[in-house]
Amino acid sequence: MIQINNLTKGYNGITVVNIPELLINKGEAIGLVGNNGAGKTTLFRIMLDLIRADTGEVLSKDENVATSEKWKHHTSSFLDEGFLIEYLTPEEYFYFIGSLHGIGRAHIDSELEKYADFFSGEILNRGKYIRDLSKGNQCKVGVIASLLQKPEILLLDEPFANIDPSTQIRLKNIIKEITSDKQVTTIVSSHDLNHVTEVSDRILLMEKGAIIKDIKTNSNTLAELEAYFSVMK
Amino acid sequence: MNRAFLQHNWLAFWRSKNTGRSMAVSIVTGLGLLYLFANLFVASLFLDKVLEKVFPSRDAIESFNSLLLYYFLIDLLSRFQLQELPTLRVKPYLNLPIKRNKIINYLSLTSLWSGFTLSPFLLTVPFLIKVLVFDDEASGFFPMLTSIIGLMIFNHFFSLWLKRKINMNAWFMVGFLLAIAIIILADIYLDAISISTVSRSIFNAILKYPYLAIFPVLTGGLMYFLHYRFLKNNLYLEELRKDNAKERSTTDITFLRGFGIAGELAALEIKLILRNKRPKSTLIMSMAFMLYGLLFYTRPEIDQTMMIFAGLFMTGIFIINYGQFMFSWQASHFDGILANKISAEDFFKSKFLLFTLFSTVTLLLTTPYVYFGWKILLAHAMLYLWNIGISSLIVLSFANWNYKYIDLSKGSSFNWQGVGASQFIVGFPLFMLPLIVYGLSYWAFNQVVAMLVIGFFGVIMILSRPFWLKKLVSLFNGKRYAIAEGFRNR
Repeated sequence: MIQINNLTKGYNGITVVNIPELLINKGEAIGLVGNNGAGKTTLFRIMLDLIRADTGEVLSKDENVATSEKWKHHTSSFLDEGFLIEYLTPEEYFYFIGSLHGIGRAHIDSELEKYADFFSGEILNRGKYIRDLSKGNQCKVGVIASLLQKPEILLLDEPFANIDPSTQIRLKNIIKEITSDKQVTTIVSSHDLNHVTEVSDRILLMEKGAIIKDIKTNSNTLAELEAYFSVMK
Repeated sequence: MNRAFLQHNWLAFWRSKNTGRSMAVSIVTGLGLLYLFANLFVASLFLDKVLEKVFPSRDAIESFNSLLLYYFLIDLLSRFQLQELPTLRVKPYLNLPIKRNKIINYLSLTSLWSGFTLSPFLLTVPFLIKVLVFDDEASGFFPMLTSIIGLMIFNHFFSLWLKRKINMNAWFMVGFLLAIAIIILADIYLDAISISTVSRSIFNAILKYPYLAIFPVLTGGLMYFLHYRFLKNNLYLEELRKDNAKERSTTDITFLRGFGIAGELAALEIKLILRNKRPKSTLIMSMAFMLYGLLFYTRPEIDQTMMIFAGLFMTGIFIINYGQFMFSWQASHFDGILANKISAEDFFKSKFLLFTLFSTVTLLLTTPYVYFGWKILLAHAMLYLWNIGISSLIVLSFANWNYKYIDLSKGSSFNWQGVGASQFIVGFPLFMLPLIVYGLSYWAFNQVVAMLVIGFFGVIMILSRPFWLKKLVSLFNGKRYAIAEGFRNR
């Protein structure tokens, strides 16, 4: 589904991403972990063609993301508030995102009903622009907007960071559900090792731009990761 | 503590990411201010001569006294327009053991660092010295000076207070403007009141009984206190959003739906313009430009170059004013635009759509000028075609070199954020090109043909737009990483 070849990116002589080879198969649920500055967000941005890589390429369904725009049809993502259009109400934003994929309003409305729990009554019909929402609620809007697009590849950068515990649990269930039938490829980064091992069947551990561990999730994974991070300096 | 605040302000200026730019801006505005001050100063030196010429029957100081309140009224209005609220970011200090009084006093006192504080003195002190001190009426000088200080302080803190009130409740603005309008109406058109009489009697009395100067000082002090108390009660709200309580509705701009995704994007941008302070004030200023025709066309002899210029401005003002900052308006969600399913082609199509829409509106709004001659309408129509065909293309090409983030929530007057070299350079082709084309074809043929030539070029470019669109897209594809990177640097 996604193939990365010889990918490097540096700033001022410091390598922030260096991935010689990586293959992600259809339906895999990837968890991306690593300390601050390990290169997770930069990797996401390169995968979304927001940053130009120094060398190498990212292929999405065999097409280079930097030269073709086809990946936009099957990829949706939420990295940070920079993805949200802050002067819209959440409804307007969802409708807008829907319109890009030719999804009608009625359909969006019925989809949103499914997430009523997730929003816990704080998002829809509140008469607020996105810029007036709290960080956590903005995050919810971004995550749901990416789910509404019915992607084949879903990228989420630290979706658990700003949201409350109940929502974290609901989000985990949502991710598990969409990955359950092995049709959607998800890449989720997180600092919360518990969450990320729970929703992923494969963990990529990044350090200084390189993927130093590539683990199939099993019952020992959490302990293994905790051991790694507790000795990290 | 004040020293620490000053030092932080100082560091904030020097360590800001835009230090170089703000330096340049400070120097340019500083020179402009100096020039303005010099003018005021010279005007003040000759004020007595001017006043004696205009009101020969009265003493210069008498006329001066009768005009002083008008001056402060104008001062208040221009402060209302231009003065900025002082910006110490108070948030980081609120949770520290610092007395609120200190923070507020610092905010209040440093706000006096502004050209408005100096201008009334430059305009009055040389005059007063000349007519009072040199003419052996020196006893009147200090009372007058004191009252002017008092009124200046009053105006200063009144306008700050009013602006803060307006931030919380827009009705204050309506009330203020209404009050001013009523005063002007009653004074100038209805003769119901006479500010000049009031002004004269007040300041004559102060000249006669110097101790009366205490009253202007008292009003100034009272206003300072009012502003102080307001800040004290509302300091928590400072820097937070004031308009949270207002209900936002989900609106829909349906007529653009027919244009597909480009239409959706254009509708989105219309919302951007209407819902954010800076683009909204840009739009309002553009609309105010529609009145410029009254300046040009009411003259007995209409200069034809002026006609071209006015037409270019009035039908293209939105393209010029709004377009010069593209794509900075969308800086805060530019990543989202790139990562979502939006093709660069649709992105540019939406811009053309938006420009065409607004130019059409301005063309329609300016048709009444046909009253001053049919050639005006012709000029406007031809320049309308030029603007949507060529000006829009110029602006959109230059937008690819604009990497500067803009904060949409700040006002637009004297706001230099997002201003860079590209805004200055884009002016040349934008203004010179149509004048050159017009001049050449006027020289070769005549006025009407020259106008038609302008329109002709516009139509050619509109018809060949698919070709230019491709060029724009490939230009954009080379530049988009740099643009997105620049917008991430706030």
